[in-house]
Amino acid sequence: MTPFYLFAAIAVGASLLVIAQRNPVYSVLLLIASFGALSGLYVLLDAPFVAVIQIIVYAGAIMVLFLFVVMLLNAPQEETLPDLKAHSGRRTDVVRYAALLALALVAELVWALTREGGSPGFGAPAVSSVALLGRSLFTDYGFQFEVTSVLILVAMVGAVVLARRDER
Amino acid sequence: MPTPLFIAQIGLTLFVFVMLLSSAAGMVYVERKVAALLQQRIGPYLVGPKGLLQPLADIIKLMFKEELRPSAADAFLFALAPIISATCAFAAFAVVPFGGDTTLLGLIPGGLRLQVADVNVAILVVFAIASMSVYGIVLAGWSSNSKYSLLGGLRSSAQMISYELSYGLALAGVLLVGNSLSLTDIVNRQAGTWLGFIPHWFVVVQPIGFLIYMTAGIAETNRAPFDFPEAEQELVAGYHTEYSSMSFAMFFLAEYVNMVTVSAVATDLFLGGWHGPFLSESIGWIWFLLKVAAILFFYVWMRWTLPRYRYDQLMRFGWKILLPLAVVNLLVTAAGVLYFGS
Repeated sequence: MTPFYLFAAIAVGASLLVIAQRNPVYSVLLLIASFGALSGLYVLLDAPFVAVIQIIVYAGAIMVLFLFVVMLLNAPQEETLPDLKAHSGRRTDVVRYAALLALALVAELVWALTREGGSPGFGAPAVSSVALLGRSLFTDYGFQFEVTSVLILVAMVGAVVLARRDER
Repeated sequence: MPTPLFIAQIGLTLFVFVMLLSSAAGMVYVERKVAALLQQRIGPYLVGPKGLLQPLADIIKLMFKEELRPSAADAFLFALAPIISATCAFAAFAVVPFGGDTTLLGLIPGGLRLQVADVNVAILVVFAIASMSVYGIVLAGWSSNSKYSLLGGLRSSAQMISYELSYGLALAGVLLVGNSLSLTDIVNRQAGTWLGFIPHWFVVVQPIGFLIYMTAGIAETNRAPFDFPEAEQELVAGYHTEYSSMSFAMFFLAEYVNMVTVSAVATDLFLGGWHGPFLSESIGWIWFLLKVAAILFFYVWMRWTLPRYRYDQLMRFGWKILLPLAVVNLLVTAAGVLYFGS
């Protein structure tokens, strides 16, 4: 049980620090630490494959891109409070949407936590075996899998369109 | 009461650590000697017989140098970056098996696997740690607060992201043929021969995968001809321009240890690991060492033979040639495994 609390504490603590301090490079690094702790939790759940994939995809690929962009823009500090006050109109909008999102997230969390064992999740052996995981991903969850890939494709096409708008 | 097996495991871990350290020192000597050979020079010859103690002299020199830090640098990250680089380099080797079971002259009754940790997703662990090692370089570039360092760090992250895809797809081809994610299983599938003389190595069934792996491996370890993060003529020394003394030595160490790891993984995946003719499995590690040494020599040979690419050429090669090739290779392999069985 102790390792669980260790990893959980690191994950929560690092996530809080991501938004609590103002240097974006440190935010990226703390987010990586949080992903590392999550990966540790997956190992404790007897799912080494998911744990390693978590590191490869999130910590290794996505966060490198984040760091790349942060460094390329060379944003030294986040906007300070006076800056935000100067654009107070925009700021209230932001706060409103953020509060709405936070409420939705809390509602979802409560709903998910109070519902007991209703989801048709993988049994413990399925998660640790790569072959079983792959099979159920491509049969039972085939539709969701394909829909996700279409979603990512749409995002990619969208990014290309946005990046090329100069040429028109 | 610790069992003999437990003590042997601890000893093995220490042994691997010390061997990696000394292999890095050895590689520095080999690199300089081979470079000298290729350029018709003598190379190091003054320190010790045939200059063999040159790496030791280098280490002592580095230790007594002054540790410098630019005043505008980010102190914490500046100190952290070389640690990340060195740690990732050593950590990857933990899951690489380098020999069959051995009883160590009968000392350990159950037999000991020559591998620090037998993880059943070993290939992915190697890949994950390789993908983390880029942070050491990127952070070194950013925290130095110098334009050459920053450019070196940015180039490195772009390069590693580009080549990681091909690297991963080359690995995927092997794990399809080997039908396992465990490096030990994959090595053991390569025992034996076809027709009595062709070794059952995966390089025979995955020749394109092997080429892609080696190319992407050179890019991953930032070696010439893909050594853009530290292209001297353009970027002084790239990401480690501002580093001196032992923190510079950490990057140096990480580069050579990474080379050894990439070569060891290539040996396990494509060249049959510790399997080979004439030697029984208990002393198969001799084959393993020979194969790794051959790949390392190839690396050094490449570095002093090929000129550096231009940066845009590197990117074009990675995305427009290597990646499509890797995808086609994976498709053909998958179809082959489906048709013939593995």
